[in-house]
Amino acid sequence: MKVYDGSQTEQSTTAQPERKKVGIAEYTVTTDDAVLTTSGLGSCIGVALYDRESGAAGLVHVMLPRFEDGDGARAKFADTGVEVLLDELERVGAKRRSVEAKIAGGSDMLDFSENGASIGSRNADTVRETLDEYDIPIVGEDIGGDHGRSLRLESATGDLIVKSASQDSATL
Amino acid sequence: MKVDIQSLGTFNQLAHEGAKEATQSLAQMTGIDAVVDVTKITLLNREDVGEELAGQEFVGVQFDFEGALQGDTVLVFEADSVGPITEALLPGGADSEMEKSGVKEIGNIMMSGFIDGWADYLETSIDHSPPTYIEDDGAEILPEVPAMNEQPQVFVFKSQIEWVGESVNFYIYMLPEYEPLADLMTEHAETESDAIPIDKLSVFNEMTTSGTEKAAENVEMMTGIPTEAEVTQISFAPIEDVPKQVGNDTYVGTVVEFTGAPSGYLMVLFDEVSAQNVAEALMPTQPEGEGLTDHHKAAIEELGNIMTSGFVDGWANVLQSSVDHTPPRLVHDMGQAIVDPLAAQVGQQQEHSFIIESEMQTDDIEFRSQIHALPNEQELREALDELQVDRADETDADVEQIF
Repeated sequence: MKVYDGSQTEQSTTAQPERKKVGIAEYTVTTDDAVLTTSGLGSCIGVALYDRESGAAGLVHVMLPRFEDGDGARAKFADTGVEVLLDELERVGAKRRSVEAKIAGGSDMLDFSENGASIGSRNADTVRETLDEYDIPIVGEDIGGDHGRSLRLESATGDLIVKSASQDSATL
Repeated sequence: MKVDIQSLGTFNQLAHEGAKEATQSLAQMTGIDAVVDVTKITLLNREDVGEELAGQEFVGVQFDFEGALQGDTVLVFEADSVGPITEALLPGGADSEMEKSGVKEIGNIMMSGFIDGWADYLETSIDHSPPTYIEDDGAEILPEVPAMNEQPQVFVFKSQIEWVGESVNFYIYMLPEYEPLADLMTEHAETESDAIPIDKLSVFNEMTTSGTEKAAENVEMMTGIPTEAEVTQISFAPIEDVPKQVGNDTYVGTVVEFTGAPSGYLMVLFDEVSAQNVAEALMPTQPEGEGLTDHHKAAIEELGNIMTSGFVDGWANVLQSSVDHTPPRLVHDMGQAIVDPLAAQVGQQQEHSFIIESEMQTDDIEFRSQIHALPNEQELREALDELQVDRADETDADVEQIF
């Protein structure tokens, strides 16, 4: 018996694009219309990059603001995560000048830090700064608030669909 | 015997790489696109291994291994998914005998990769037996608990592998015998500052059990429903894998930050059905409105608060210190999104995390609750250092004192 989740049932009449899951501190790029998903973003941020000209798209799920402050994979941090995703996108044929970004996540939920900004907002600031350094415009965003999000990047169109537990899904 | 954080990290990585290796073998053989979701090392009571398999039938393969490590390892998947899996291997349909040999074949290839990965890293040889086909319900599918069980708590390496796009999960359990594994971990440990005596980790588990029992007592006192503490375990995983420990279903519950030795975060989580049931048990009259109302949430907040206090008191009693906590914050969100900001806060200081998990349930109504704690690693280490092993369990002799 095959059990499908809701998102697949909706599309079951048409040929399904490949679906790739992006975990925390991971990134994936595609040039062939795959659907890239990542789930359970709290203070984490999902950065989706899309090159309209080549059709290349990529998604990274970052957890903490700056690489220099920690250890681990580059994709775990907002600054190096954006860089590693952009490098990989260029490697598969994207041109930086036509790449656009959409970002979501960075919730302030359950932030116990008493002084200073929440991790969610520091993640968002670092993502914005890094994208700005590379002259990549942010063409859509859903940042902050106090709820979690799951994302689906449809690389055929560059649409980023944001879902949350309590609200209707929105397309960036 | 001591084990350091670095070697726990290394062993976790080893299990993860092994599972990835096994998954790649599967992809090459069948074209099944699968990813390793979670790998963690868990220390728990031997009879609690495999609780997460409850309520489903499984098939798979089992091997024994011996050499530098000894024990059993199994690869299992839901019985329902045998069809699609063997179809991928033998397109055009297979009878039940062919399905069995298909399962064995896939298991053999996956697990050879898994064991070889370990042996290569440890630069030693680990031999494994030919695969045995197994099928059973839930945790019954795992190797039997030895009758003469001298070491009630064991380390288990668990990996969960997801078949992308299908709701099929594979599980790999590696159950090494305690002593050879502990020796090997000790050998690979740099016994400097960040080492933890292995036996104290199990004492910490006992503390958590006592905390969970106290929390369950509080639930019982407040709701009048007999509630039992269930599994208690301490796991170790890279910080980025911590949020995955709680699935993406929606949960209701409370979160606190606790301070003292150790500090950290503690979550009390209920699935939505349990939350509604237990909240209604606390209410004098049926609430108006559908689903989880504000009344339900207020009741959950109160319950979360007394469960947290009970749990933390259990710890403080054993540590003979005080552990304080902030007022509870109510959450109602996707499980992973609840854990994510807490893991990120802990992750600012550390690359890996201990995760303390326990569960309680009741037979009277559909009710299940999980408690997860993420302690600061260094403070946990210090608290364990301070801990007299005989304080938590005075009936057992301290082996190190005798010899």
